[in-house]
Amino acid sequence: MAKSSLDKKFDQIRKREEEKTFSTKKRSRIVNKFLNNRLAVLGLIIFTIIILASIFAPLLSPYDPMRVDLRSMRQPPSFDHWFGTDSTGRDVFTRVLFGGRVSIFIGLGSAILSAVVGIAVGCYAGYKGGWIDVIALRISEIFMSFPQIILVLLLVSITGQSLFNLMAIFILTGWGGMYRLARARMLSLREEEYVQALRSFGLSTFTICYKHMLPNALSPIMVNITLSTAMFILTEAGLSFLGLGVPLNIPTWGNILNVAQDILILQNYWWMWGPVGIVISVFVLCVNFIGDGLRDSTDPSQQG
Amino acid sequence: MTTYIIQRLFIFFPMLLVISFLVYSGLELSPGDAVSHMISPELASTITAEQLDAMREAYGLNQSFLTRYWIWLTSMVQGDMGYSMAGGVAISEIMVKTVPATLELSMVALFFSTILGCSLGVISALKRGSGTDNSLTVAGMAGVSIPEFFFGLVAILLFAIELKWLPVGGRLLPHYETLWDRIPNIVLPSLVLALMMTAGAMRYARSSMLDVLAREFITTARSKGMPEWRVNILHGFRVALTPVVVLIGFRLPLLIGGSTIIEQVYQWPGIGSMFIRSVRASDYPLVMTISLMYVFVVLTASLIIDVLTALIDPRVRLGKE
Repeated sequence: MAKSSLDKKFDQIRKREEEKTFSTKKRSRIVNKFLNNRLAVLGLIIFTIIILASIFAPLLSPYDPMRVDLRSMRQPPSFDHWFGTDSTGRDVFTRVLFGGRVSIFIGLGSAILSAVVGIAVGCYAGYKGGWIDVIALRISEIFMSFPQIILVLLLVSITGQSLFNLMAIFILTGWGGMYRLARARMLSLREEEYVQALRSFGLSTFTICYKHMLPNALSPIMVNITLSTAMFILTEAGLSFLGLGVPLNIPTWGNILNVAQDILILQNYWWMWGPVGIVISVFVLCVNFIGDGLRDSTDPSQQG
Repeated sequence: MTTYIIQRLFIFFPMLLVISFLVYSGLELSPGDAVSHMISPELASTITAEQLDAMREAYGLNQSFLTRYWIWLTSMVQGDMGYSMAGGVAISEIMVKTVPATLELSMVALFFSTILGCSLGVISALKRGSGTDNSLTVAGMAGVSIPEFFFGLVAILLFAIELKWLPVGGRLLPHYETLWDRIPNIVLPSLVLALMMTAGAMRYARSSMLDVLAREFITTARSKGMPEWRVNILHGFRVALTPVVVLIGFRLPLLIGGSTIIEQVYQWPGIGSMFIRSVRASDYPLVMTISLMYVFVVLTASLIIDVLTALIDPRVRLGKE
């Protein structure tokens, strides 16, 4: 008896399933979709270039970002100094590279750490519910009652300025959004049948929510991490521009821009603040492109 | 509806109380007390411990923490906000001077960004997938990626220093008499602030408009033979913009955050630049009062929005929150 065409199809599917080609196929679909998004790819390329340039800063530049050289003060861009020199003769290009190290570290580090905190609390509270959830929700509401920059400034005035304090403040102000996201995903996943099945097997709460449910909530979280990286880099730049972020002796993108508060520098020495402003904007734009590309490729409901 | 509003108020007031307590105790933890900040470095070497204690007593700093919190809270509720440590000016006086300036700037910026954002968003939605739509989307992303102060600085360099069309900053100058004299000062800061906020409004308006255009009553209107512009304007536009207008309130924290730095860049004498100055000077009473005022504004706005949403959409009231 000849097999019907439907049976043949089932056979093929079963064969592929046995070869375990399905899971890799699925992953490559997301990667393909991301790669098809031209802006996201462009963003990823420039993002990588800027990160590599900051990491290998000592190889790319012969200058020391901190060394004062009064003989070459306020020189315009030239072959020796690509972005010119600042008021104390430090090479601006070198400072932008080294500043990128700190700025990107703060942005990415705070985003990842606040995601870790937010997810750890959100997953458990969202799955378990009860008083833990109520308390965590109220605490996150307290943090969200402040406009972000105001809360950051308030905390800076309490703790004082330092790199460590700034990151701690960013994590403190950033975990709430991540917590709410993870919690909302958990609330909808909680009623899924596979979760009920796991519960009936008697698996522990920790295993269910961190090992089995979390991976299904991960893609919106990834998108959120990229977007909050962009936000933290902008906040750091803004705070340091005001002179309230990272202490001024550490070069960061915001600290380099700080000199532009002086109207004379703004007017006469554009290279001291212009290039670094463009680097920040381009970097943040790239991060946003990547985030957008990630959202489009992982979220089936976002197709527009 | 009444029960819903009462429920919301039951969250509102305890929240405010808890936050005021946290802020007060947070500043208590900050290094030094009010007295140590009042003494100039030259004086610090000559002053004796007894004199310091006398000062602490005079300012009521030797009382217990909770007593001080209670005194501060009750006087705050009665409208007495205390005194700034810099120059001993009454905080209420500072507020009266700075709040109108900030309101002026924010309202103008909100106005421009809403009009610009809504119209660009609707255009983008109507021409979905076209070159216009794509470039507007990219421009919107650039808008949220450029640091607002950098954008402000470039605008100063271009329009105030190079072209000399507009003043560099400030709000009121002594020789200003009519309203016309004051307009050039507000143009740059408000437009910069508005452009930075347009991106968000545009995104909301676009998705809301797309949502409405896919509904059945639009198809019905089209099938009646109505001209396309009438369908878009009378049916689509009107329905799509209701949620966008409500969302403007949600962007209030963004407006406050943006205006804080922009005020500093343009030397706009508002509450934002005052807040930055007080943080720099560690003027704790002022820092505390201004940040609590911000919290009050944000919480009140979200309360109003919740009530408005509940009025528009009865499903909200029946839900859990």
